[in-house]
Amino acid sequence: MKPNRAGLVGLLYAMPALLFVAALVIYPLGQLFYTSLTSTSLLGGGKFIGLGNYEKAFNDSTFWSALGFTLKYTLFITPVLMGGGFLLALLTWQNTRLKQFTRGVIFMPWVIGLATSSLLWYWLFDHRVGPINKILVDLNLIEAPLAWFTDAELGLWAVIISVTWKVIGFGTILFVAAIQSIDGEITEASMIDGASYWQRVRRIILPLSTRSILLTTLISVVGSMVAFDQFYIMTQGGPKTDTFTSVYWMYQNSFIYFKLGYGSALAIILTVIIFIGAATQVALTRPRGTE
Amino acid sequence: MQHVEIENVHKSFGSVEVIKGIDLSVAKGQFCALLGPSGCGKSTLLRMIAGLEAVSSGKVFVNGADVTNTHPAKRQIAMVFQSYALYPHMTVRQNISFSLDVAGRPKPEAAQRTEEVARILQLTDFLDRKPAQLSGGQRQRVAIGRALVRSPEVFLFDEPLSNLDAMLRVQMRFELAKLHEELATTMIYVTHDQIEAMTLASKIVVLDAGTISQVGTPLELYNQPANKFVAGFIGSPQMNFLKGRMETVAGREVRLELAGSGSVAILARGGVEDLKPGELEIGIRPEHIRPCNPGDAEANLSGRVELVEHLGNSTVLYVSTGSGRLVVQRSDDLSIRTGDTIGLAVDASRAHVFGADQRAI
Ligand SMILES: Nc1ncnc2c1ncn2[C@@H]1O[C@H](COP(=O)(O)OP(=O)(O)O)[C@@H](O)[C@H]1O
Ligand SMILES: [Mg+2]
Repeated sequence: MKPNRAGLVGLLYAMPALLFVAALVIYPLGQLFYTSLTSTSLLGGGKFIGLGNYEKAFNDSTFWSALGFTLKYTLFITPVLMGGGFLLALLTWQNTRLKQFTRGVIFMPWVIGLATSSLLWYWLFDHRVGPINKILVDLNLIEAPLAWFTDAELGLWAVIISVTWKVIGFGTILFVAAIQSIDGEITEASMIDGASYWQRVRRIILPLSTRSILLTTLISVVGSMVAFDQFYIMTQGGPKTDTFTSVYWMYQNSFIYFKLGYGSALAIILTVIIFIGAATQVALTRPRGTE
Repeated sequence: MQHVEIENVHKSFGSVEVIKGIDLSVAKGQFCALLGPSGCGKSTLLRMIAGLEAVSSGKVFVNGADVTNTHPAKRQIAMVFQSYALYPHMTVRQNISFSLDVAGRPKPEAAQRTEEVARILQLTDFLDRKPAQLSGGQRQRVAIGRALVRSPEVFLFDEPLSNLDAMLRVQMRFELAKLHEELATTMIYVTHDQIEAMTLASKIVVLDAGTISQVGTPLELYNQPANKFVAGFIGSPQMNFLKGRMETVAGREVRLELAGSGSVAILARGGVEDLKPGELEIGIRPEHIRPCNPGDAEANLSGRVELVEHLGNSTVLYVSTGSGRLVVQRSDDLSIRTGDTIGLAVDASRAHVFGADQRAI
């Protein structure tokens, strides 16, 4: 028997999965990259132009402002999602009936489509019929209804509020699982040792949930970096181009301006940025040695 | 008032009563073992002393203060858990000094105290390791160190040795005994292992299904078990129980007819005057039965040897008799072999009689 026969058999077993990945990831990515090197239009035609589209992106001020806005959005919403999700987990991790029910309610919006929830919140924030303005006016917090989506800052926060409502339950569920998996005797030992509730949270629960927190942060950051639906529906990128995200600008170029080649180049750039960011985070936070 | 006092404590989980009214007192400096089979409520009782479990009714006192509704941290107790419950993300040093840190004690003082405890427990070389990098025995010592550093009034242990292998268990048992001798702190120690209880404790509380079955010194429990439960639980190999018919009572001497064989006269403890003839049970430890020739006058029973175990320092016989199988243990090396028919002489002065209610008579 040849020595690497086993290796060959192993490869054969892995083949279906490899083919699957090749067909669904590698091939489209290659295709995307190739398109980014051309001046392809959505209407057809176009020729090979090398790195022309990348050069164009470098000089495109809206590309930069969209990337900046995307980073700003990510930077704002991630702490809200992580901090809020963890607080909710701390409040609801016990398995009493009320807390299980509350957990279910918090998680429920997760199963609604993002477009649906964005539309829902669009109307909740509406400056004529939306209840949010009415409540704020009634509470005397504002004098007149706000036109949330005509201001970039207000629009950003309206989106952050709506997305938080929609996805915070995801982190909460993962954090609840992490907190529940902490040995009850460890918690009891820390109580006997005299740790107050917040000392326990800071010195026992948080450190022992690190893994879930890092994983959830990664998922959340990547999700925020490719944000599109919520802005498409709620702000339409406005006012002007102030709330264009990277993906929105890519969509705008590809399907509104018909510049598929340029849109592909933008997609490739964003993919590379996210990949580098994610890889850095994973490398920095890889569990070192034994716990 | 004693150092730790428990007054009529009850505990129910839902509709199930687990602790059914327990009174207990432990003197200052005493090593008290709570002994009983799994599920009898030992841990629940200990956790109520620690304050990790609320009592359903009753009172708990530590050092003269009513701590029934006091937070665990304020009861002046420390606890060592069966799982050790070390903080996995902290070093040994951080584990031991945790209680000092959260109490906001000055860093140098905490560090010094930690080093001191580590020295007592021979953990100095491991202070910067994480629990995962320690052996079972070392983890056990860290758990003890974490309790020790707080200088508590009372130490609580919940089966601290049950996760260790047999050899380490004997060694840790010895170290715990030494530790108690050095510190002379009150210790309450939960175990299901009668040998641990007998060797470590000066006072043993035997629990049976949420009630106290008997309280006494190791030898009191061994020599004067109050009931069949304690008699069967203490001692290894287990005490033999035989059915017998009471025939006559003369003073405190009760003569019983054994099923399928001879008879035996046992000196009861008292209260036998109005004993009516009828079924009773005899308890006799394996080490209090002596093999002899079947026809001897001293033979109370006879039977066939089913199995002989040579343990080196003793011999254990399993003998099938008309009254059931008896276990016999002798410290001498016997020449008896499997299949032999032998007589058995019961040391009547060491035998016990149990009434229908299983109490010793
Ligand atoms: N939190 C709880 N909820 C319900 N039943 C419990 C709980 N803790 C213990 N019990 C029950 O109480 C009884 C005594 O348990 P425990 O004190 O742990 O026994 P032991 O330590 O002697 O083995 C057991 O039957 C156990 O199932
Ligand atoms: Mg237990």
